[in-house]
Amino acid sequence: MEAVRTVGLSKTYPGGVRALDGVDLEVEEGRVFAVLGPNGAGKTTLIRILTAQIRPTSGRAYVLGHDVMKEEARVREVVGYVPQEISVWTDLTGYENLLIYAKLYGADRRAVREVLDFMGLGEAADRLVRTYSGGMVRRLEIACALLKRPRVLLLDEPTVGLDPAARRLIWARLLELKKLGTTIFFSTHYMDEAEHYADEVALLNRGRVVARGPVEALRREVGGDAVIAEVDDVVKAAQLARGAGYSAVAEGDRLMVFSASPGEDLPRLLAVFIKGGVAVKRVYVKNATLDDVFMKLVGKPAEGGDLKSAKSVRKAVKRA
Amino acid sequence: MKIPRALLVAAAMMELEARRLRHEHTEVVTRAVQPLLWLLVFGPIMANTRAIPTGGVPYMEFLTPGVVVQSVTFVSIFYGLNIVWEGESGILKRLLSLPIPRFSIVVGRASAAFIRALVQFVVVSTVAAAAGVRLSIDAASLAVSVASIYLLSLGLASLSIFIAAFMKTRERFMGIGQAITMPLWFSSNAIYPTAVMPDVFKIVALANPLTYGVDALRKVLIFHSFDAWLDLAALGVFAAATATLASLNFRRVIQQ
Repeated sequence: MEAVRTVGLSKTYPGGVRALDGVDLEVEEGRVFAVLGPNGAGKTTLIRILTAQIRPTSGRAYVLGHDVMKEEARVREVVGYVPQEISVWTDLTGYENLLIYAKLYGADRRAVREVLDFMGLGEAADRLVRTYSGGMVRRLEIACALLKRPRVLLLDEPTVGLDPAARRLIWARLLELKKLGTTIFFSTHYMDEAEHYADEVALLNRGRVVARGPVEALRREVGGDAVIAEVDDVVKAAQLARGAGYSAVAEGDRLMVFSASPGEDLPRLLAVFIKGGVAVKRVYVKNATLDDVFMKLVGKPAEGGDLKSAKSVRKAVKRA
Repeated sequence: MKIPRALLVAAAMMELEARRLRHEHTEVVTRAVQPLLWLLVFGPIMANTRAIPTGGVPYMEFLTPGVVVQSVTFVSIFYGLNIVWEGESGILKRLLSLPIPRFSIVVGRASAAFIRALVQFVVVSTVAAAAGVRLSIDAASLAVSVASIYLLSLGLASLSIFIAAFMKTRERFMGIGQAITMPLWFSSNAIYPTAVMPDVFKIVALANPLTYGVDALRKVLIFHSFDAWLDLAALGVFAAATATLASLNFRRVIQQ
């Protein structure tokens, strides 16, 4: 059974804003799935529908086979949810936050200590959340979501505004959860995060899925992989590469040789250059990134510079 | 199973509020300033005029339940502010994703206002007692007082949640909060009996939930009477009606 399945999911807000426009997704259980897209793409709306907070205008959505419209209570029982905005009381301690949430969930009191230790907050448990770093607040929020041992954990921009060390720490815990069998469904506008941690991604733009699949497959689709060589004689090197059947472009003292499998073509090219008497100073492989995929499909970078994104940056700063 | 669950949720929300207050005492002090001004400055001065018929008790005794209700009203109405704030942050979103009925979330959040109201009751009545006001503090009087304060704060907090759902900014809400609390208080029997009011205001006072809160507290704490059932029933209807309205309107808060 799929952890998440949506069919033609659409949502139009009362003001007329069309946030989702026919989204079809399938996420297998136990996977890490990323929804990637610029601000305003519909990521938050999608997650709020999947956690049975708001209803879609049309289409269907299922979490572990439960219909989010007809079996809201069942859906809420199996999902854990971490919203983008701060979702803990900062004027309580970390332990107290978990205690209150445990009581609201009807969860066992012992679970509080377990999730605190699991998220590495054991020592900070009795400090007011106000004194926590942004990364600690995030880990506490994830801990709150884990109290009921959810089978599907949905996180909205889990690492927005955090420094790289804090992001790694959070992902170490999330991958640990994956090992325990939890499905992780997250939204992000950080391409690298989706590349590193997601088994599969869906690129969302203006409420539509523009591409979806394993990261590797999407990269191959763009075909932007290349071997790049810094050489003493670019013109001669280009001739040699073309003579060997590659298409190549010179950029200053660098030569870009396009390749479907650059890892294998690199040693071959190197041998051609050396044999032809070209001195190679440096050589490396450039892999197409999800950014390239997004650029190709949507025609603009994923991180837009509109007002809404400025707002979300402000939110992120507040958190840090 | 819905009713016990709702009670558990309300208990957890009240515990949350009690724990917040334990970490942050300054609000208890600042919230006490205004009622104490009424009690210690306005009260004695009005008492000297002897202009208000009090039913045979000193004016200070007549006034004390009114001041208790005033501060209960303030903390409860402004509790809706928390909901607006929680709408901005992720807390409300998270609460909505929990396996709890919406009605329980509203009643639970509104019940949390009762904890703050109770603190006001303790502070105001302690100061009043120190200033020489004689209050009946037997178990039965306290039980009726606490029940009236619970229903009143639940009702007013639900009302403020209902209104907060239409307000998207903290500033707008603050303005509305001010515009509601003072008229509610002045159109009740808190500082003068309804008997001295013009007829129009008598009707307004009868429709004002504060009137029933003041009346119940005045009967049990000052006049040693337990004839407060009608007041409790009126407060119960008010609380049930506003909690229902707030729950039905909750969609607005969610959709933002």
